[in-house]
Amino acid sequence: MKKRSRKAFSWLWFMIGILYFFIPLLSSFLFSLRGKKGVLSFVAYQHVFADPQFLKTFSFSLEMAIFTVIVGLALIVPTAIWVHLRVPKAKPILDVFALLPFVIPPVILAFGLIRSYSRPPLALVQTPALLVAGYVIVAFPYIYRSVDAGLRAMDLRGLTEAAQSLGSGWLSTIFRVILPNLRTALLSAVFLTFAIVIGELTLAVLLAWPAFGPYMALVGRNLAYEPAALAILSFALTWGSIAIIQAVSRGTPGGRSNLGGTH
Amino acid sequence: MAFLELHEVVKSFGRNTVVRGLSLNVDKGEFVSLLGGSGCGKTTTLRMIAGFETPTDGSILVGGKDVSRVPPNRRNLGMVFQNYALFPNMSVRRNIGFGLRIAGKHGAEVERRVDEMLELIHMEEFAQRYPHQLSGGQQQRVALARAIAIQPQALLLDEPLSALDAKIRVRLRDDIRAIQQKLGITTIYVTHDQEEALSISDRVAVMREGLIEQIGAPFEIYNRPATPYVAAFIGTQNLLGATVIDPAAGIVSVEGQSLEAGHPLDAKVGEELRLRVRPEALSLGRSGPNRLGGRVASQKLLGSIVRLVVRVGDTEVFMDGFNDPLLKLPAVGEAVTLSFSPEACTFAEPGAEPIAAAALEDEEETP
Ligand SMILES: Nc1ncnc2c1ncn2[C@@H]1O[C@H](COP(=O)(O)OP(=O)(O)O)[C@@H](O)[C@H]1O
Ligand SMILES: [Mg+2]
Repeated sequence: MKKRSRKAFSWLWFMIGILYFFIPLLSSFLFSLRGKKGVLSFVAYQHVFADPQFLKTFSFSLEMAIFTVIVGLALIVPTAIWVHLRVPKAKPILDVFALLPFVIPPVILAFGLIRSYSRPPLALVQTPALLVAGYVIVAFPYIYRSVDAGLRAMDLRGLTEAAQSLGSGWLSTIFRVILPNLRTALLSAVFLTFAIVIGELTLAVLLAWPAFGPYMALVGRNLAYEPAALAILSFALTWGSIAIIQAVSRGTPGGRSNLGGTH
Repeated sequence: MAFLELHEVVKSFGRNTVVRGLSLNVDKGEFVSLLGGSGCGKTTTLRMIAGFETPTDGSILVGGKDVSRVPPNRRNLGMVFQNYALFPNMSVRRNIGFGLRIAGKHGAEVERRVDEMLELIHMEEFAQRYPHQLSGGQQQRVALARAIAIQPQALLLDEPLSALDAKIRVRLRDDIRAIQQKLGITTIYVTHDQEEALSISDRVAVMREGLIEQIGAPFEIYNRPATPYVAAFIGTQNLLGATVIDPAAGIVSVEGQSLEAGHPLDAKVGEELRLRVRPEALSLGRSGPNRLGGRVASQKLLGSIVRLVVRVGDTEVFMDGFNDPLLKLPAVGEAVTLSFSPEACTFAEPGAEPIAAAALEDEEETP
């Protein structure tokens, strides 16, 4: 009796959670279909795609996301591996760094970047490099957390030493042993970075770049149905990329065992 | 000149000196075990040979060449770890072939060598499996194959069997020895399990606090322990309080019963000594020249061995005999006579041993 009621209770909570999540999504979706009076139609979506600004801003942000991922991973993955293996005592320092982007508002970060980099020898304000640099900082916690969790989930020291005793130098150890076992963690880092960068507003506005975030904000202010369509679109994109990641990591040998992070 | 040499090797972590000037010579093709309690520096010594730790002082020579500062990936030494450390993203085949591909060997050559290795460990049908699809024993076989596939100059094993069940442990240990002898590969084997060390080694080095206390063939270590520590560490010893009666004739008294040492004693009349004798050196009856009378306190069945606990005065004495189904054991409380030869006795200063005996209560190793 007691067991059954407890089970019913957990189901109730689960349903509440589902509703909390899906009702806004569903109503946004329905709302986005009401572009034409009286009938349900995809006219709002047509408008979105018809606007050249949509594609322009979206591809700009995508480009920024790709650079952010490359720079972020190149910076953070070797650092995390090094800290795990050689200076585990420095881990708390990195953990604090990983909190800073949450503590420092993006506005402050933007002004800091502008002040520091608007004068020679580092006059970078005019280049998207500064935007990427800012995004790397914003994405740092997500990349670092994913990589850190991935490194924890494997026997990093054991695998590294095994590889070394078999004649492997640092580069081949990293590329042949560590990274393949870090795949799921890296994919989640990439995915989170894309999600953050593509929707990011503050840095893009303050550094004055025609990114997707400001575009969405603009559309949202001036139009009614199109923002809902945009929201649904970006949602679909997000889930689409998750599906791709899942498919990719399942399709390759070893991917299966890695999906859970460890075994 | 030995193939693998450690000269006065010292290793300190900060102010903690873990290895204190250890020297060791291992001949080509020899199987040497480092045996000792937890924390005595076995792993650290092995890791210095492998190159994962740099000696604070001293030198390590392999094939006459000083490798103390050579990084681990240039030493060409195979290493087997307690937790297997197989690459989870690679199949058994790719794990075994890893070192060969790193060395730039061609595909066909790698495949041929991997097939050889799979045959050696009797795991041909597991080639396509991934490590998580194997039992612990199978994983350790693969790890062994992976380590010897590169034809290393020497094989280093750090407690390779500690994570396995008792049954598999015994089988795999015999397999390791068989493979080692077949390939004639120089091997250093770290363990805290004396039975393991004694059963598979050419020589056993008993370590204590960062030094080798005694090194020798298993029989020598067991039957002629050079120090009280080794005597107490290896096997089981009876410790009997003995009073010297006639040092020149080697006569002592234990619980009021007179015994022969078989050799003159370097002690004064009336001095208290400790007499050591192994349980398996004792037998029931009056066959030997040294006899101790007492009463049976209990019997213990230890598998193939039966242990009789006999109360002699205030001391409990262990006697081990084979568990023969026809054996008729005396009942508890029955009066018995234990006898043993003078050669089975060794002597130590009183108080020397309980300290050493305390050091052996470390069945569990923290990985
Ligand atoms: N990297 C290290 N840093 C500090 N102390 C260490 C390190 N490695 C081992 N030790 C210490 O050295 C001692 C010997 O360790 P170890 O060689 O692992 O012993 P064993 O393998 O015989 O159990 C232990 O007290 C251990 O705490
Ligand atoms: Mg150890």
